[in-house]
Amino acid sequence: MITAVHLTKRYGARLAVDDLSFSVGKGEVVGFLGPNGAGKSTTLRILAGFLGPTEGSVDIAGHDVVSDSFEARRCIGYMPESAPLYPEMRVVEYLRFRAELKRVPRASRAGYVDDAMHKAGVVEVAHKRVDHLSKGYRQRVGLADAILARPPIVVLDEPTAGLDPNQIREARALVRDLGREHTVVLSTHILSEVEACATRVLLIHHGKLVAQGRTEDIRGMQTATAVDFVVRGDAQVATGAVRAVEDIAEARIVASGERELTRVRATFAKNVRAESSGGTAERCVAALVAAGVGVREVRPAGGSLEEVFAALTADEGEKEGTIARAGSRGGDTDRG
Amino acid sequence: MTGFWAIFKRELFAFFVTPLAWVLIVVFLVVQGMHFFLLVDHFATAVDVASDETPLSAFFGNTVLLYLVLFVLVPPTTMRVFAEERRSGTIESLMTAPVANAAVVLAKYAAALVAYVAMWLPTVLYLVILGRTGDLDWHTAASAYAGVLLVGAAYLSLGLCASALTRSQFLAMVWTALVLLVLFILGVGEFVTREGTTMHDVCAHVSVWGHMNDFASGIVDSRHLVFYGTLIVLPLFVATRAVDAWRWG
Repeated sequence: MITAVHLTKRYGARLAVDDLSFSVGKGEVVGFLGPNGAGKSTTLRILAGFLGPTEGSVDIAGHDVVSDSFEARRCIGYMPESAPLYPEMRVVEYLRFRAELKRVPRASRAGYVDDAMHKAGVVEVAHKRVDHLSKGYRQRVGLADAILARPPIVVLDEPTAGLDPNQIREARALVRDLGREHTVVLSTHILSEVEACATRVLLIHHGKLVAQGRTEDIRGMQTATAVDFVVRGDAQVATGAVRAVEDIAEARIVASGERELTRVRATFAKNVRAESSGGTAERCVAALVAAGVGVREVRPAGGSLEEVFAALTADEGEKEGTIARAGSRGGDTDRG
Repeated sequence: MTGFWAIFKRELFAFFVTPLAWVLIVVFLVVQGMHFFLLVDHFATAVDVASDETPLSAFFGNTVLLYLVLFVLVPPTTMRVFAEERRSGTIESLMTAPVANAAVVLAKYAAALVAYVAMWLPTVLYLVILGRTGDLDWHTAASAYAGVLLVGAAYLSLGLCASALTRSQFLAMVWTALVLLVLFILGVGEFVTREGTTMHDVCAHVSVWGHMNDFASGIVDSRHLVFYGTLIVLPLFVATRAVDAWRWG
């Protein structure tokens, strides 16, 4: 559905998107992932036809975004970052205006608007003025606008930015639903977001594609860094037994619970590869059992998208920290 | 011209739903009403009135009030048009819909023009009142209104262009006011430069004051039409190019 070839965008001397090539197939939900200023928004704006590429080309469902911009724009429903809307309009007025603008035939306009309002869950605020809506509802009106003309491709720029945890959960569910009928491209700087919504991830940093693949593949690119055990028995004996295992650099008590349960984290030595980490964990279990400690739980630690990202874009240490934190916070609320 | 009607309707709606529009309209009508009252009062009581002077020619021509009003009216009307959309980001939704750049510019311009005409419309009542109490040359009245329309259309076009060239509403307003002021001052130059010099000719050609005097006395000069035609088309063209340039900026 979308094919970008050697996409480059320069703002004066600044390179916002640097030789980006990717393609998105029909029915895929693809997440663009990167820190703020990585070039995600610029890329999506080029896809949506708001900006023109300095070099390279983008093909949207068979239409070039520059030479056949008009038809390309008809194939895309785009929600800009923070879903800007006209504050003085009522929701239903706004959507009717957008439907006319997107050339939905007059006869079916009301039906399209109703349909989009139902899907985005804004029926109850249909007659409210946009400037009286909460941030969450505005975002949903933006979503309703994006799917209004029933385009084959929906492009969402940071669909959950600025929402509270409940709204984030709802927005993600909406995006997942969209994936059934549309090809969806979304951007985010929160890693757990793409894990929750997307089937495929494109990692962008400094305008370059640093990695891409299924969420699982991206996670698999990271060598596991540690393994967590929940053990029953003497915690000191347990750490001592694990520490003695080959390839384990460090073992420490992470948390102590009731009924003699202790969580012990065993950190792998630097040379342990992802494929051999299972064997090392196995030897740890054997050592624990041999030392007379009961093993209740074994769980690999690390290898999350946050860590993949940190490793791939290690040159920006400080930013990664905030991203990882923001990501894990989002993840917690999602599960909670 | 895809998208013209939808945008035109929305722009009109957006204009008349804001308090600013109504404040402008009220101020405009109060000023014009007082102007009209004073003129009629003057002509009713004055003893020696020049034979070619009528309330009509004095209302539209030979008065600083018309320009003062336009000067206050036009910049706030047009400043919002593009600058506000760019500031709030709604321009992104607008330009990613399947619309033509020219349609966006023309729709916004047409809406501003209709709003401008709507402001002037109640003043037709003055003429009706005049016509009831005395003789009124309706052809001259039509010519005067044509002048008002042309001057307004040109000013709005300049204002729209300024709004497309900057992201800030305030700057758009200041720029528009400045251009209008310079244009007016150049026109006044007609009366202070020596006749026969190039400067005098240039000033006379761009003199909005002089143009309105002609229009108000029923003279529709083709040079004026060309002047205002240029002043309408050129800024609109620049605005369309500016809209296109955002994409490549």
